[in-house]
Amino acid sequence: MQIFDGYFSESLFDEVFDRNNDVRDCWKDVLKDIENSGLDALKKKQADIDWHLEDNGVTYNIYDNHDGQISRSWSLDPIPFVIAGEEWESIKKGLQQRAKLFNLILKDLYSEQKLIKENIVPAEVIFGHKGFATEVFDFGNKKNFNLYFYATDIARGPDGKMWVVNDRTQAPSGLGYAIENRLTMNSISQELYPNIVTKKLSSFIEEFKDVLNQLTDGDISTAALLTPGPHNETYFEHAYLSSFLEINMVQGEDLLSKNGSIWLKSLSGLKKINTLLRRVDDRFCDPLELKNDSKLGVAGLVESMRQNNLNMINPIGSAILENIGLNPFMKKISQYFLKEELILPQIATWWCGQKKELDYVLANLNKLIIKKIDRTEKIQVYFGRKLSQEELDNLRVLLLQSPNKYVAQEEIEFSTAPYYFNDKIEPRNAVIRAFCLKKDDEYTVMNGGLVRVSSIKDSLLVSSQKGGTSKDLWILGEDPKNNNPINFFKNTQFIETSIDKIPTPKAENLFWLGRYIARSITTTRLILHIIKKITNFYRYEVATSKESQEILQNALTHMTMTYPGFMDTKNQKTLDRFPMREIASIIKNTTRSGSLAFTISMLSVANINLKDLLAFESWKLFEKMQKEWNEFINRKGDSTLVISSELDKFLIYLMAYKELVKESIFKEQGLILYDIGYKIEDSLLLISKARSILCLKLDKSIGHDVLEGMLNSMESLNAYRAHYKSSLTLENVVDFLILNTQFPKSLKYMTDELLKEFKLLPKAKNYLTTYEEPIVEALSLLKSINLQNDLQIKEEEGIYTELDKVLSNLADLYLECSNEFSNTYFSHYDE
Amino acid sequence: MIYNIYHKTQFNYQSNVTFSHNIARLKPKNTPYQILRDFSMEIQPAVYESHEFVDIFGNTNNHLLIREPHQFLAVTGKSIVEIFPHLIEEHIHNLKSQSITYGKALERLSKFNVNDLDAKQFLFESELIPTHSLSIKQYVLESFHKDRDLFEATYEFMGRIFNDFEFLSGFSDITTPVENIFEAKKGVCQDFAQFAISALRSIGLPAKYMSGYIETLPAKGEKKLFGADASHAWFAVYIPNSGWAEFDPTNNIIPKEQHILLGSGRDYNDISPLKGVVFSSGNSQLSVMVDVRKSDKQDLAELKSNKEIQTQSQQQ
Repeated sequence: MQIFDGYFSESLFDEVFDRNNDVRDCWKDVLKDIENSGLDALKKKQADIDWHLEDNGVTYNIYDNHDGQISRSWSLDPIPFVIAGEEWESIKKGLQQRAKLFNLILKDLYSEQKLIKENIVPAEVIFGHKGFATEVFDFGNKKNFNLYFYATDIARGPDGKMWVVNDRTQAPSGLGYAIENRLTMNSISQELYPNIVTKKLSSFIEEFKDVLNQLTDGDISTAALLTPGPHNETYFEHAYLSSFLEINMVQGEDLLSKNGSIWLKSLSGLKKINTLLRRVDDRFCDPLELKNDSKLGVAGLVESMRQNNLNMINPIGSAILENIGLNPFMKKISQYFLKEELILPQIATWWCGQKKELDYVLANLNKLIIKKIDRTEKIQVYFGRKLSQEELDNLRVLLLQSPNKYVAQEEIEFSTAPYYFNDKIEPRNAVIRAFCLKKDDEYTVMNGGLVRVSSIKDSLLVSSQKGGTSKDLWILGEDPKNNNPINFFKNTQFIETSIDKIPTPKAENLFWLGRYIARSITTTRLILHIIKKITNFYRYEVATSKESQEILQNALTHMTMTYPGFMDTKNQKTLDRFPMREIASIIKNTTRSGSLAFTISMLSVANINLKDLLAFESWKLFEKMQKEWNEFINRKGDSTLVISSELDKFLIYLMAYKELVKESIFKEQGLILYDIGYKIEDSLLLISKARSILCLKLDKSIGHDVLEGMLNSMESLNAYRAHYKSSLTLENVVDFLILNTQFPKSLKYMTDELLKEFKLLPKAKNYLTTYEEPIVEALSLLKSINLQNDLQIKEEEGIYTELDKVLSNLADLYLECSNEFSNTYFSHYDE
Repeated sequence: MIYNIYHKTQFNYQSNVTFSHNIARLKPKNTPYQILRDFSMEIQPAVYESHEFVDIFGNTNNHLLIREPHQFLAVTGKSIVEIFPHLIEEHIHNLKSQSITYGKALERLSKFNVNDLDAKQFLFESELIPTHSLSIKQYVLESFHKDRDLFEATYEFMGRIFNDFEFLSGFSDITTPVENIFEAKKGVCQDFAQFAISALRSIGLPAKYMSGYIETLPAKGEKKLFGADASHAWFAVYIPNSGWAEFDPTNNIIPKEQHILLGSGRDYNDISPLKGVVFSSGNSQLSVMVDVRKSDKQDLAELKSNKEIQTQSQQQ
């Protein structure tokens, strides 16, 4: 027993060694294996474990006041926590009883409230607790209003019995981590613990699926896991569990409610959801009836429950059970409902709302732990023995002010278990999280659990939020035969890859990502061209340029729709003298709709919303660009030259970002939506520019200037030269940019492509859809253009009216297409 | 006494809204002293679906889903409510005669009594009335002594609010914390009601937010304009052994036949006339129009002799 020679626990109870320093029976095999392998083997296995966990991306997000959110990898001890099969059977009975009681309490508090009316539980313990949801009052008698999934933290007290420490009822976490811990342990125990037989976890997951199947009447595809999203501390687990349970993982924005039901929005339409396994806390689930500024829920969710169209695991209102104020009354409740004694001991708890209890607590304040009854607020725990006289006095005032809200608990010393740390094994306090599941009328307990170990020696506070490590819980013994589905843990990620199932918010963001990228690039290019013209104008004193400059500036106002802009007749003088003032505003004014800064901020929103779809590099690039961009737009007094070189730089960033987007997303994942958005936007901007620039009758010298501007602003001058090998003529430029069938930036080319892409979408029909119709009409309009006719002009006219008319009609058609497209795929308005 | 009530609540949105979930609470409650004789609700634009339910506080809620593009949502409730003044008089008389001292009330509330259970829902902090400061507690305790009759004490407390606080529209909105109202000693009926509730809860008494209407009359010689009225708010305190006693600190009166109850709750949020969640960019603005008229013309002269009544509407 060399490895454990230095192991000495000061605790009244150690899991491994009894008072005579003899090894307890259930630990003998594990200890023998560790002794046989030696510390070096443990070290090696710890490294294996770390690698496995990291490779699987197991993380736990920690909130930190200083640095914001850190994603840290999960850690697991190579030494398990061992419990003998027979002891576990009796613990299980206790857990089942407690689960049953909590379900009865939940149903009663949201229906008859007999517990209150018959003086079993004081009304103040319920009404003074923030978890009591008045909104679901009267739901308690609904058939599927049950505490389906329940987690209990238990730890061994000095008397050797397992005690209840905490109850988790709203959206218990930890199951995914427990499974991952077991799978990781499996990979090392072959070598480290070859002969130890433990109960398996798989049957519990199988039963979880059964429950989902029952609730969904056999169609498990109508169940989903509701996650608060990637910022949540246990997001890894949400993704992990949804994949094991083979259900969709959704966020509030993926759902809508109508007809008193909840629906999942996807590109192919609405799909009814009737069961939500939720990881969103009670009050955040519905902004209409619960917390009105919550972005994590679905407006109308409570109404769907009210109309019996939605089952929740667990129901809204379950937070009332996370109530330490109930502890002192559990004994009475158990007698009342079941006529049974409580099987699992609880920590002695005094609710301060009663005079006798309050007096006792005040007299013994320095020995007790004081807590608020609800968990919904920031948890504050006072350890009486650690408080100064002044702090004690302050606490006394708090208790006297609102005694109903506080409980006091005895400070218990929990058992220690061996923990491998820094090349040695030392005793640490440990808490087990056990899981119960309601199946039919009974509760099933998982034969395992998540064990959390305190981060420092002799610490009683065990919390994943505060750091620390975990252990796998081993229940010794064999499973009943035929209870072991083979190859059950399919560790495949449940990610939607078919275009039909892209959630609507994602699809919409992709579409707008395309539109905003196109808009940013085109706007930057036109501005750049204009700025360069201005600097050249002063440099070379080219007299004719002034008129062409005005035409391009007006085109900028039209295209960005920043009216009145350069067309502001009242300010014409100032605009003539200081055109850069207006241009700087179009670049930098974030609050001006249509400005470049405005467009970039919208692009940034789309970029954030697509975080999980985009490659790491595109993220990095965007962050860098945004940082420099913000510095630039908040800076004053830049010279025209500096502005121009800054814009040059951003143009390169934008182009690089655009390419990275195209590279990192599959067509099936929705790249096609991005493409469609990009083309619609580009077409609209091209038409706008063409109307302001190409429809004006101009003198030859000016004409050449603006045609060059038009081509330059599309980075198409070289392509034009290569194609026509001649000087710039209006007819050729129009032909090239509008009608050319080969040039990818021409309107004709983009329109043809759009029609092809539409055919690949889920709602494509064999007839023309409402969003295809305008594009087909646009094509025939394009075909009808006869440049010889359309570019005829009468002596007295200044505008090519025919061409302008066609372009104006085209613009309307593209806008109509965009609106119909949005309506069809994003608003679900006709479903 | 019969009142015709017209209550229109309208959201104006900055940009088009295509999908909105709303809850309207415009249907007045039945109480032992008032009966809803008739009620109709108009919604513009047309609702896609609506569902009526009664919540834990007995208020009628209408869940409304609008699915056509709209830039405003107008919900109008039209009610005819009959009030029974003699029953109210009787109730107030009973309250007064059965009222107990503040000390006795606290003692009884600290114990189990099946009649007090419902009232205990109104004993704790709520969303809009979260905590109470020590100074508010000191202020209210000037009127409440252990041996003082609870009804009397609350009556005096109402009078102090009426005298110490200035009625001023535009100073506050519904989210202004009670502490700020107390510090500035300014506000409107909602603020006075919520302040009183906060204060009473701080000394251990259940208190309820009462929302409804009060008829106002034009100055002498002027014609009453349609829609010139406003929604009104006051509070009720629970007197164990006796029941809920209502007080209107804005006008320093005990509500009788001039007050029509719409609904009640822990604070304004439990009975806000219209709330909604929309999917749109931009802000929304709420506007309210209320008209309260007696059906019976004979009663009009009688009311005219009453003192000026203050109310106002508030934007959420």
